[in-house]
Amino acid sequence: MAYITLDGVSKQYGSVWAVDRVTMAIEKHEFVSLLGPSGSGKTTLLRIIAGLETPTQGRVLIDGEDVTHLPPHRRGVAMVFQEFLLFPHRTVYENLAFPLRMLKLPKGEIEERVEWVLGILALRGLEKRYPNQLSGGQQQRVALGRGLVGRPKVLLLDEPLANLDRELRQEMEVEIRKHQTALGIPFIYVTHNQEEALSMSDRIAVVRGGRIEDFAARTDIYDRPKTAFIAQFVGRSNRFEGLAAAAGDTTTLRGEGIVIEAPHHPGLPAGSRAAAYVKNEKIRLKPATPGDAPAANALAATIRHVILRGAYAEYVLGWAGGEIVASRPRSEAEFSAGTDVVAFWDKSDVDLFSATGEP
Amino acid sequence: MRVKPGKIALLSIVVLTYLFLYLPILHIGLASFARNSIFPYPPKWTLDTMQRLFASSLYQTALGNSLIIGFASATIATALAGLATIGLMRHAGRRAPLYLALFIAPLFIAEVLLGISSLIFNGLFLGLQGNMVSAVLANVVHCFSYALLIIATQLYRYDWRLDDAAMVFGASPARTFFEVTLPLVWPGLLGAFIVTFIMAFNNLEISFYLLGATPTLPSAAWGALRYGVKPELYALATCVNLVVFLLLGIMFVLMMTGLVTFGHRPERERSAV
Repeated sequence: MAYITLDGVSKQYGSVWAVDRVTMAIEKHEFVSLLGPSGSGKTTLLRIIAGLETPTQGRVLIDGEDVTHLPPHRRGVAMVFQEFLLFPHRTVYENLAFPLRMLKLPKGEIEERVEWVLGILALRGLEKRYPNQLSGGQQQRVALGRGLVGRPKVLLLDEPLANLDRELRQEMEVEIRKHQTALGIPFIYVTHNQEEALSMSDRIAVVRGGRIEDFAARTDIYDRPKTAFIAQFVGRSNRFEGLAAAAGDTTTLRGEGIVIEAPHHPGLPAGSRAAAYVKNEKIRLKPATPGDAPAANALAATIRHVILRGAYAEYVLGWAGGEIVASRPRSEAEFSAGTDVVAFWDKSDVDLFSATGEP
Repeated sequence: MRVKPGKIALLSIVVLTYLFLYLPILHIGLASFARNSIFPYPPKWTLDTMQRLFASSLYQTALGNSLIIGFASATIATALAGLATIGLMRHAGRRAPLYLALFIAPLFIAEVLLGISSLIFNGLFLGLQGNMVSAVLANVVHCFSYALLIIATQLYRYDWRLDDAAMVFGASPARTFFEVTLPLVWPGLLGAFIVTFIMAFNNLEISFYLLGATPTLPSAAWGALRYGVKPELYALATCVNLVVFLLLGIMFVLMMTGLVTFGHRPERERSAV
């Protein structure tokens, strides 16, 4: 049995289901991200695991114990909050010792464990400071330390890096994952930032409208999106619309001025509306030559802007159907704005979804 | 250095305002230590009036009763207002403004009316005679509204998610209150206690109707007026004023140093660090 189990968990506020029949199982060694746009219910789900919200329906099990109706202080969990929420009237040392004091550990052990956390999070020398005397990054470390110091059954992280600048964020991503691996306890990490989710997680649960859209390994979420929402939300993609037609192992989508071939999709009857997604980095470019014949999975375009991202360049391309974006490594041939090119991609890089029912 | 006329005007207005506020009190203070208490300029110093005041058993009983009313009313009002504020902020939701309006409405009712209606109601429905208990209860009514306003301004800045954090890290609700909430909001509670203590201690109208012959300091002073303004009244006024200023001074100092030594600043200032 899984270490943490959510069994049909739902939460209703008024007439709105913030969390809607969520069932998932998380193993002890896992780093799991709940990834979704704001208002998708991912934070509510985290607060239900913490015990800060009681589910309207369903059960929460931690380490084989049904904790659905246990108050937060008896669950043995810990949490890192987006706003840090360090106790402002306590020093760094006292903040770190708080969970241990609540566990009623002997004084010697409290000192030992706080020392350990100060060491692994490079906080030595700041013990006597108050939270308002720390930088954002230091507060973040103390908040993380307070989460780790009590060796909880699970650490819940609620967008802990959202208030940090980009560089610090990337540094902390590596560090958080390192501590998770070292401690061997599950981390459940809530974020709306796909980069954070992709960089740290073993598995990602994409949350939308209170439901789990898909819960799978991060490579599967990224490379083989199960729904159009995931294809759009994870990674950066270009969307094409048209009518589907199946032939053998290929499903073809015919749109205005474009023909897209994709691996066979059984759920698309001939003539139904469909949408194809191709990730930015899967789109390749070659110079246009006079007499290019129209082909499947290719389109004639003109480069409108070039955005330099360091290791790669993003090309904004104008074509008959609008704009698409291709991102290419700088090691490839570069194009300048105004150049006519042919953008093309592989059949296996197309993700096809039904678009019936969409407005 | 030339002083600008605007600045002089400003300063004189400040000085005039303070004189307007404090001259009567200063006059009484001077009179209470002077033999020539009717017109103590210049004063002939004496402690006679003070001695006469402290020798009077009426004033001693009155002081005792006023202290009881002050402490009991302030304690009940502060506790209730603290709970009401927590309720307003955490559980009232969209109806919070309505509840708040109903909580502070007693502020706008004349104290005489509060006194009379409490007397009638307590007698008719609670079977309470006019006594110290009903006087305390009636005082709690308007003290509660004041205390609510004072506590609410302090708790408004309190981040209730700190309570979530404490509970997640193993603190029971009671432990959370004493370890986290109380250390951060006590200046507001103490402020409310001191202000409501002074209000109830000094109250004439409410206590008067509910206590009848039982004296409090204000009612004893009021009663003494029938025989003209005696020097003891000056002394009494000065004593009460001294106690009040002392309490306000303590409150001021505690709140200032409290904020400094705890190293705590409100959220919006902290983010600027």
